[in-house]
Amino acid sequence: MTQLRPDIFDEAAVRLDAVTLRYDASGEILSGIDLALKPGSFSFLTGASGAGKSSLLKLLYLARPPSTGEVSLFGRPTSRLTRDQLSAMRRRIGVVFQEFRLLGHLTAYENAALPLRVMGRKEAQYRADVEELLAWVGLGERMHKRPETLSGGEQQRVAIARAVVTQPDLLIADEPTGNVDPEMGARLMRLFIELNKRLGTTVIIASHDLGLVRQINAPVYHLANGLLVKNAPEPGKASRRRGDGIEIKEAE
Amino acid sequence: MKRGETSLLPLEDAREAALFFVVGALCFLAALAALTAKSTYGAARAWTAEVEGEYTISLSDAAPQDALAATLLVQSVEGVDGARLLSEAEISALLEPTFGSRGLPADLPVPRLIAVTAAPGAGDIGRALTETLDEAGYTAAVDSHSAWAGDVRRMLGTARIVALGIVALLASTAIAVIAFATHAALLARRDIVDVLHIAGARDRFIAGLFERRFWLLGLRAGTVGALVALASVALLIAIARSSGNRSGLLPELTLDFPDLAVLVITPVIAGLAARIAAGITVMRALKSVM
Ligand SMILES: Nc1ncnc2c1ncn2[C@@H]1O[C@H](COP(=O)(O)OP(=O)(O)O)[C@@H](O)[C@H]1O
Ligand SMILES: [Mg+2]
Repeated sequence: MTQLRPDIFDEAAVRLDAVTLRYDASGEILSGIDLALKPGSFSFLTGASGAGKSSLLKLLYLARPPSTGEVSLFGRPTSRLTRDQLSAMRRRIGVVFQEFRLLGHLTAYENAALPLRVMGRKEAQYRADVEELLAWVGLGERMHKRPETLSGGEQQRVAIARAVVTQPDLLIADEPTGNVDPEMGARLMRLFIELNKRLGTTVIIASHDLGLVRQINAPVYHLANGLLVKNAPEPGKASRRRGDGIEIKEAE
Repeated sequence: MKRGETSLLPLEDAREAALFFVVGALCFLAALAALTAKSTYGAARAWTAEVEGEYTISLSDAAPQDALAATLLVQSVEGVDGARLLSEAEISALLEPTFGSRGLPADLPVPRLIAVTAAPGAGDIGRALTETLDEAGYTAAVDSHSAWAGDVRRMLGTARIVALGIVALLASTAIAVIAFATHAALLARRDIVDVLHIAGARDRFIAGLFERRFWLLGLRAGTVGALVALASVALLIAIARSSGNRSGLLPELTLDFPDLAVLVITPVIAGLAARIAAGITVMRALKSVM
């Protein structure tokens, strides 16, 4: 009996089909990756340094096309989109870059508001929201400082504020807590979880910090040798999961 | 820029200051060439137009009363506005550069000269003058000024084409330099372009940032260049005048319409060139990324 594949695949927020990636002359960084993330899901991407986590995320935030295979977002194969459609799709995605990529000549506040300006929003309409968000990530006092005068952790929080300021449908974060102390790390994780729970944002976070990953009950995709493996939740920890929700486990 | 909104591109750095200088200098040269071409040609045209309707008839072996009769005859020729027999004093003055102020040697046969002015629009009456005088039995040579005024005009016309060529060459150099500089600026701002691109900015939005920046740069550099060129031309004319050169070829020192046009057009062309070069460069660079 022939059965069509379940429709759930077509409504995946993120879907990779046999995706490979190679940079120019180098070998394959990613070799044949399949992945489907449901809308509103929360997942981790782990792997050793150099395993290709950042490269995989680049494909997801449409910074480059895969060498072969198809990347589909929000149910649409991206290889068939026009440039303007790709731009429109990128507006639905918030990205925290591993290296922050803040604009040096803008203040923390202006950096955080950048995606709103790109969308053509008026400052009068978003000012209060951006200020509130920056206060929430602990930058209320320093929001009018330039990145160069901020610490690494503060810059990271500006980068996170910029990624979530548009309340995106998909949040992609590359090592988003790499430069902050564990307390702030947990606080930022809660921000991602809030977004996921309250707005249904699909979240994928790359991290090689297994301690952090273990604190949160969420599917973990592990990248090694160019291949992606989905880890089964560790026994005993799955029981702490309630429904589809995500929660931070108590510190041990 | 709106109040409180910092430009998404950083304010000009040293690179842009250098570009400003180069564009300004190119605009200066282009405007200078245009202004020189225009004022020289304008002055030459006024001068040749003045001289074109003039003829000089020299009568040899003519007694004073014959010369007077010839003058009356010339006045009756169709197309002649006026004819006047030059006095001996006038002729001496004309020959002074050759023979000095002591007057002419007494034994030198002095030709009688008749200055003829053609009626406006009469065309070339040189031949009619010659024929009329020949028929009346005079030995006369008719010198048409228009012949060599035409030579002067042709030479000036060539000079103008050369000047226009220089203007065109300078303009295309400016465009190439701007395109090159935009490309460099884009590479230097690759980080910003990437962040905007990934944040979902359309190509046109990003290109617009560079277009606005380079349009203003071209406009300002062009204005400075054109103003300096205008000041230089004014200064050159002023110096030439004060050094006693009263040649009719010197243009008037006035800010007339063509001058103003050069003053306005140079910055606009520079701005447009910068803007278009920036737009094309950025769009092309963006097309190479996903
Ligand atoms: N732009 C690039 N050009 C060439 N090689 C790259 C590029 N980016 C990453 N790589 C290589 O791809 C591999 C995976 O890098 P990356 O995706 O950054 O891994 P991770 O984020 O897991 O540390 C590394 O060997 C790295 O050197
Ligand atoms: Mg990485």
